[in-house]
Amino acid sequence: MMVSSSRKITSILGSELDKLVTLPLILRTLMATFIVNVVLTAAFTSANLQGTTGAQSILDTGLASMGYLQAGFIILGILATCSEYTGGQIRTTLIVIPWRGFQLSTKHLALAVITVPMAFIMAASGVLYAFIMMKDTAAGIETGTVIRTVIGATGYLTLTTLLSAAVGALFKRTTPALVVLLGYYFIVSPLMRNYLPRIKNYSPDTAGSYMYMPLSTDEINALTVMQGTGILLLWTLLFITVAIILYRRRDA
Amino acid sequence: MLPYNESHNRKGVLWLLTINNLVKQRGNHEILSGISFKARPGRVTGFLGPNGAGKSSTLRILLGLDRATSGSALIDGKPFAELQNPLSTVGAALDGFGAHRMRTGRAHLRWIARAAGLPRSRVEEVLEIVGLTDAAGKRVGTYSLGMGRRLGMAAALLGDPEILILDEPVNGLDPEGIRWIRTFLRERAASGKTVLLSSHLMGELAETVDDVVIINRGKVVANGTLEEVIGSHSTLEEAFFALTTEHAGAVV
Repeated sequence: MMVSSSRKITSILGSELDKLVTLPLILRTLMATFIVNVVLTAAFTSANLQGTTGAQSILDTGLASMGYLQAGFIILGILATCSEYTGGQIRTTLIVIPWRGFQLSTKHLALAVITVPMAFIMAASGVLYAFIMMKDTAAGIETGTVIRTVIGATGYLTLTTLLSAAVGALFKRTTPALVVLLGYYFIVSPLMRNYLPRIKNYSPDTAGSYMYMPLSTDEINALTVMQGTGILLLWTLLFITVAIILYRRRDA
Repeated sequence: MLPYNESHNRKGVLWLLTINNLVKQRGNHEILSGISFKARPGRVTGFLGPNGAGKSSTLRILLGLDRATSGSALIDGKPFAELQNPLSTVGAALDGFGAHRMRTGRAHLRWIARAAGLPRSRVEEVLEIVGLTDAAGKRVGTYSLGMGRRLGMAAALLGDPEILILDEPVNGLDPEGIRWIRTFLRERAASGKTVLLSSHLMGELAETVDDVVIINRGKVVANGTLEEVIGSHSTLEEAFFALTTEHAGAVV
């Protein structure tokens, strides 16, 4: 049904935010992701200190852990939706907010509100760490490029989190959703890049990587930032739409 | 017994629960076969039946959690999802805690209150009513069964609803808790509210209910006032067993 009252929308958004911030698992996941990202960035920086130099090297090093960093955000997305099914909370949620499509959309919005600053802090901290450690080789680094890249990484992590939340809503259970998503991102997709190069750019992670990966001139099939963003956005909206349709139809 | 008065309240709304020819099929199994009854304001209606008879399924459909295969379950003539203010209309406590076990009892009630636009002070009021103030800061996972039921009751009472729908409310409560809930439900009905509660414990309910609906294997086998259903039997429990045995007779 249509919920016209803006007060009602604000209340429900606030309630979904409350749910996320009062769940210790969510906070622990974010803290663990931050720490692992710092450790990995330190390791990549250390390894690269005697390698290539220049601004591009700092960005590459600062975001080298993105592949692993996204795992934390995938877990965050899955926890946000699957936690509804622990202890029968979903029944309480639907008794309080029986407008299912609206409720699940608001949950995704609340998740985005939390994810955007967290993703920005983590992406920026990686780049900042690499910059501090490699500043002697950073002659000519453009602030604009750094900001665009960090914003792109933030967008990628946010959309990946929302997509994961939608997959979590489809599965309803944390373990199968984790197995499917981590299996895709860390096994299927890398294999696809090697064996199906023609379609790899249409996958959510490869297309999305162009959001923060500066365009490589030697790659023939490279996407632009906008193309990469568009493809990942479409995948995210598709999964959210399917999740909402099923959520509305099935028994709680 | 309280006098029955099926009149509209001051808001011109009749808080009547109407279950009409409800059928629910899961796979090839029909778990509800044409359930029909009403729960009226100012009355406590006991929805009784053995485990697996279809009580919870009926309540879940009434609360919009599950879909009926056919038939309808309406609150003041509307499906649950069409209520403008669900929490102040219907308070419901189903089986289980209805809360994530990692969250504290107070945090659980706070997100519910926020969704409904209720002040935080109301959370403290309901915690006081159900006697859970001291344990409100503890995680739900540490609660006993009885504490979990009290938390469910607290959530149901947050919006001071016109209708209470409780699934097995005395399950897990100690004698003091059972006495409290009996008195509490009688007071709610006395103030003109509608109370529908399910149970498989006849002895616990005989002193609480005004009207009785007995269900067995997905069919209503008795429906009437407490006196009508007891009929020639000495107790409600005897009437229940007589009506739910293999060769029980027609509907009372």
